[in-house]
Amino acid sequence: MAKRPILGLFEDANYAAEAGDALQQADVSQDDYDFLTDAPYPEGAFGEREERHHLYWFPFVGALVGLTAGILMTSMTQLAYPLVQGGKPILSLPPMAVITYESTMLSAIIFTIIGIIFESRLPRPKMGLYDTRITEGYIGVLVNVEEEQLPKVSALLTQAGAVDVVQENPEPVTA
Amino acid sequence: MAANSHSESHYGPEMWVFPVASQVTREVSERTSAIPMAFGIGLGVSGLLLGLGIIGFVIRAMSDGFGAHGPWGYYAAIFSFIFMVTGAAPLAASIFRVTKSHWRRPLTRVSELFSLIGIFNILLFIPLMFVLPAFRNPNLVPLAENELDLRRTIWFEVPIGATAPQWLDLLGIACLALCALVLLWLSAVPDMAQARLQATGFRRRFYGVLAGHWHGTKSQWINQKAGLALLGAFYFMLLVFMQFTISSDYAQSLIPGWKDSIFPVIYTLTGFQSSLGLMLVILFVLRRWGGYKGYIGISLFWSASKILLGLTLLWVYHMFSFGITYWYGRLEVEQNILKYLLFQSYGWLFLANLIFSFFLPFLTLLWNPVRRSDWGPALAGAFVLIGAFLFSWRIFVGAFNAGDVYNIGLEHVPAFAGPDLWDVLIVLGGLGGAVFIYLLGSRLIPTMCAWEIKEGAMYQHMGTFMRGRYLVLAKPE
Repeated sequence: MAKRPILGLFEDANYAAEAGDALQQADVSQDDYDFLTDAPYPEGAFGEREERHHLYWFPFVGALVGLTAGILMTSMTQLAYPLVQGGKPILSLPPMAVITYESTMLSAIIFTIIGIIFESRLPRPKMGLYDTRITEGYIGVLVNVEEEQLPKVSALLTQAGAVDVVQENPEPVTA
Repeated sequence: MAANSHSESHYGPEMWVFPVASQVTREVSERTSAIPMAFGIGLGVSGLLLGLGIIGFVIRAMSDGFGAHGPWGYYAAIFSFIFMVTGAAPLAASIFRVTKSHWRRPLTRVSELFSLIGIFNILLFIPLMFVLPAFRNPNLVPLAENELDLRRTIWFEVPIGATAPQWLDLLGIACLALCALVLLWLSAVPDMAQARLQATGFRRRFYGVLAGHWHGTKSQWINQKAGLALLGAFYFMLLVFMQFTISSDYAQSLIPGWKDSIFPVIYTLTGFQSSLGLMLVILFVLRRWGGYKGYIGISLFWSASKILLGLTLLWVYHMFSFGITYWYGRLEVEQNILKYLLFQSYGWLFLANLIFSFFLPFLTLLWNPVRRSDWGPALAGAFVLIGAFLFSWRIFVGAFNAGDVYNIGLEHVPAFAGPDLWDVLIVLGGLGGAVFIYLLGSRLIPTMCAWEIKEGAMYQHMGTFMRGRYLVLAKPE
């Protein structure tokens, strides 16, 4: 059965953290709930799991690709046209460095942008469950559970101090 | 009023401000969508100037074509000025974010909005690709004295390099603009996502398209933070490189015999100094007349003024180093370059440049009470901005009118090249275009970074220690 979202809204961040504790005690997996905030809270403020990201791989790979392309382009061109300029060697590193640096930067930036889009899971046409009060400083605790667990989770969120609990239909759930 | 300040503090009530987090999104959204009369006038005037600039450009192109670079000196100067100032501006947001300072929070979006002018920089640069003289001397007379077969540049000189500077410069400027725009987007996504719920019409659709995916989950905040850090680092690395290539290709390489490793550094420093100056002017306007008094405290001006003072001192140090090296060199070419750019042809311009880039801001920022005001640092900012304009005028108009680029060195001191009517229109048009784009952008993307202001509100408050009231700051990392 598909999981359904339920959102608890907390005016006080401490209550939201307590809701997280209660969800853990109720054996709701940490992958199934998240805290929605209007500003970045310090890591671990809600007692949540440590989030990891893989964004650093993208610029690293991009820089390697750009560096390789830059070295190949400049060295092969100079070897194809072996003109001695000012007594310098055919493969002169200083002028090669200018173009190689630029190609490395360009490739690293483009790969980073691709990485950001990929890691942000774009595009996402559907808004999903949200509440405008989060923009006013409320903390949202978004839980994805089986449909039959919804009343239990709703009660749990309310007991933790949620000022409102909403589901995908606009009607508030009665605890 | 979305702010309360603390009048009991030793520094007065306006030094630190504490916006009310729950009201920030609504207030910033309201101010973003409002169009006061002064703003409308500014938009109209800058649009008019842009139109005049286009007329000047078309007439210049029709009368002089793109075959010779001399007539395009003022065009190059205004491109250099806009690129130098607006290219360096988005960097302030990235650098101060990395240092985790709290005072910079109202400054970040003001700085990031300059990313939009990156597109204007690309458009401005395209005509310059066609006026740059060829590498190879087309009129080389065999065994002619003092004539070079290939003019001196930083690029390598095999056939691919013959057209490389123009295209590689364009590619670099385009990638810089792309990087800046993604930085702006990434930073503005949370604000646009929150504002879309309160916006209507076009703004709602615009925000929905650009920020439809954003919910503010832990994972999204972490990815955003990492993305901003990475792109900020790359932007810095590419910006310095592009300032080096532009100043080399469009200034140094056009004055025969000018070989100077300090000049690109002066160019970059002038960019950093003038962009910070411009941001202080904008923040002063926003604070005094933009309705953001509750968001922008005096502490921002106080802190930024110390950096501006440091950059001003660095600027004059590098300028002195450039002058003294050539002065002691005493070769004919070095003496001629000094006479051309510093003491004779452009001597009065250099003096004005020195006054506005160093003496006036230094004498203004020297005084702590002046630094601890909003008008003092903004005034110094206006001075350095004028100084940067004079710098671009002196260097780029001078470089474009220095004579035979294939000569082995500057054999005589060329005369000052004054502007004609079309040059004046081009310069005004360039300035108008940049202002026009910035003003338009500020009506779409909030001028204050709401999420950073709210984050800052979590980490700052006034506390009591013994008998005094002090600002207590938290740094979670």
